[in-house]
Amino acid sequence: MRESFIEFRNVSFRYGEEQPWVLKDVSFVIYPDEWVAIIGHNGSGKSTIAKLINGLLFPQEGEIFVDGVHVNQDSIWDVRKNVGMVFQNPDNQFVGTTVRDDVAFGLENRGIPRQEMIDRINTSLTAVAMNDYFLHEPHRLSGGQKQRVAIASILAISPKVVILDEATAMLDPKGKLEIMRTITEVQDKLDLALVTITHDLNEITLADRVIVMNEGQVWLEATPREVFTKKEELRRIGLDTPFISKLADELISIGLVFNNHPLSHEELLEELWTYHSKM
Amino acid sequence: MDISFKNVSYTYQPNTPFEHRAIHGLSFKISSGSFVAIVGHTGSGKSTLIQHLNGLLRPTIGQVTIGGFQLSSEKKLKQMKELRRRVGVVFQYPEHQLFEETVAKDIAFGPSNFGVDSEEISRRTLEAIKAVGLPEPLLERSPFDLSGGQMRRVAIAGVLAMNPEVLVLDEPTAGLDPRGQTEVMDMFYQLHQQKQLTTILVTHSMEDALHYADHVIILDHGTKYMEGKPEEVFVKKKELNKVQLDVPEVIQFLFKVEKKFGVRLTYHGQGLNEIANELHSIIKGADSIE
Repeated sequence: MRESFIEFRNVSFRYGEEQPWVLKDVSFVIYPDEWVAIIGHNGSGKSTIAKLINGLLFPQEGEIFVDGVHVNQDSIWDVRKNVGMVFQNPDNQFVGTTVRDDVAFGLENRGIPRQEMIDRINTSLTAVAMNDYFLHEPHRLSGGQKQRVAIASILAISPKVVILDEATAMLDPKGKLEIMRTITEVQDKLDLALVTITHDLNEITLADRVIVMNEGQVWLEATPREVFTKKEELRRIGLDTPFISKLADELISIGLVFNNHPLSHEELLEELWTYHSKM
Repeated sequence: MDISFKNVSYTYQPNTPFEHRAIHGLSFKISSGSFVAIVGHTGSGKSTLIQHLNGLLRPTIGQVTIGGFQLSSEKKLKQMKELRRRVGVVFQYPEHQLFEETVAKDIAFGPSNFGVDSEEISRRTLEAIKAVGLPEPLLERSPFDLSGGQMRRVAIAGVLAMNPEVLVLDEPTAGLDPRGQTEVMDMFYQLHQQKQLTTILVTHSMEDALHYADHVIILDHGTKYMEGKPEEVFVKKKELNKVQLDVPEVIQFLFKVEKKFGVRLTYHGQGLNEIANELHSIIKGADSIE
């Protein structure tokens, strides 16, 4: 059996004693090299999960383990070495006056020796294809470039998991695409778990596995393909299916039969082509 | 209200080392009652543009006309308050601006600032909360106890309660879940039609622009790059790619169908079921094309 990297065991959380439970008896595992998308309606508890993983919040009930370590007040600094987070607004996470300084910030805090720091800055900025921007001011970059620098800053501290909490929500379409390409490549090359919290339906199709949250509970854990076959149920809990999936459903309703429910343009074109050559 | 920009430029912090020209030589017309989408990559000048619509900014050069109001660098507009009553702006993440104890008070804040009497305010508050699809009992709750999607709607209701004639929407669905996104856009579209508003939507979503707008203006580096009907503008893949944009997904897919099957399907606002039927006849009839 694979060793789990992140584990939630019967976790419940609320922001105060009088407040409603945000998470109710949530259990799941994430494996070391997986890309897991966490989706759910506004207020379903997605972002709370992210904050619990790196000890920004602690659950009232249940336990959370990251790389075998129980997350609590005493362990958070060890846990955070392994967990990198990228948030929604790139402008809120810059500290340096140049891209290089910004990536260096996290390394300096950890007392990394100078030569190793230089190496890590090079490697991580190359990984996100921002190595031509060492001396640029972060604030003058485009949205997608800013988020790539934010990801590089995280990669430089070599975490074992990177959490992107709606990291593409404020970006233009090109920026979104850049980030998706960057993290796909990074996840391919580096030994890394990836957790993306997102409303973007096309982004979800790229993940290995999806955890669907509804009203503070795990509603479904499945592959993107399985998730998007449940269009009626998804709509009921505030979600939706991507364009290709919708079009495939329309085609099914007029009598076409697909071997695999298509998720990408290419898959749907391929299915149509198979039909066409049979006709 | 008809809106026109005539050769408008705006420079932030002019004559300083931080001088930055955000829009430049911008001219366009928006006719009363239309639904216009303004599209462009981050930093293309969209936010600067919309801040001219209710007089938060005055052009450095050129002239902005909104109905009977004129904005230019030469003189301050005397009826600024009246302009702001008639042009409602829903800024990005408008829920960050909620501050009152109850939803009702928050919605009433705008109209009471404009001297609307209390009877009329209660009438409008009720109308606004219904328009955004929230139940009436919510009016007495604290806005901070609501979910993100509900808070967004309360903030929008506050703008609607001013009875604006022009509605400016800056990325109104950012951060909402997929169903919330559709609901909020459908709501704006319905209001647009019912109240015969002039609606200006700033968006990164080519899909929303295609679906709701009847005119699209594309900005690049502070200038107008293209404008026209969505179904005409959004097929120009090369031109759009040049300014970091892309054609909407449905049109992308139809292009790929053409490449693979050699048959062109044009998008003219048809629904997915119609597209499915068209695809069906292509795969059935493709023999004759080969």
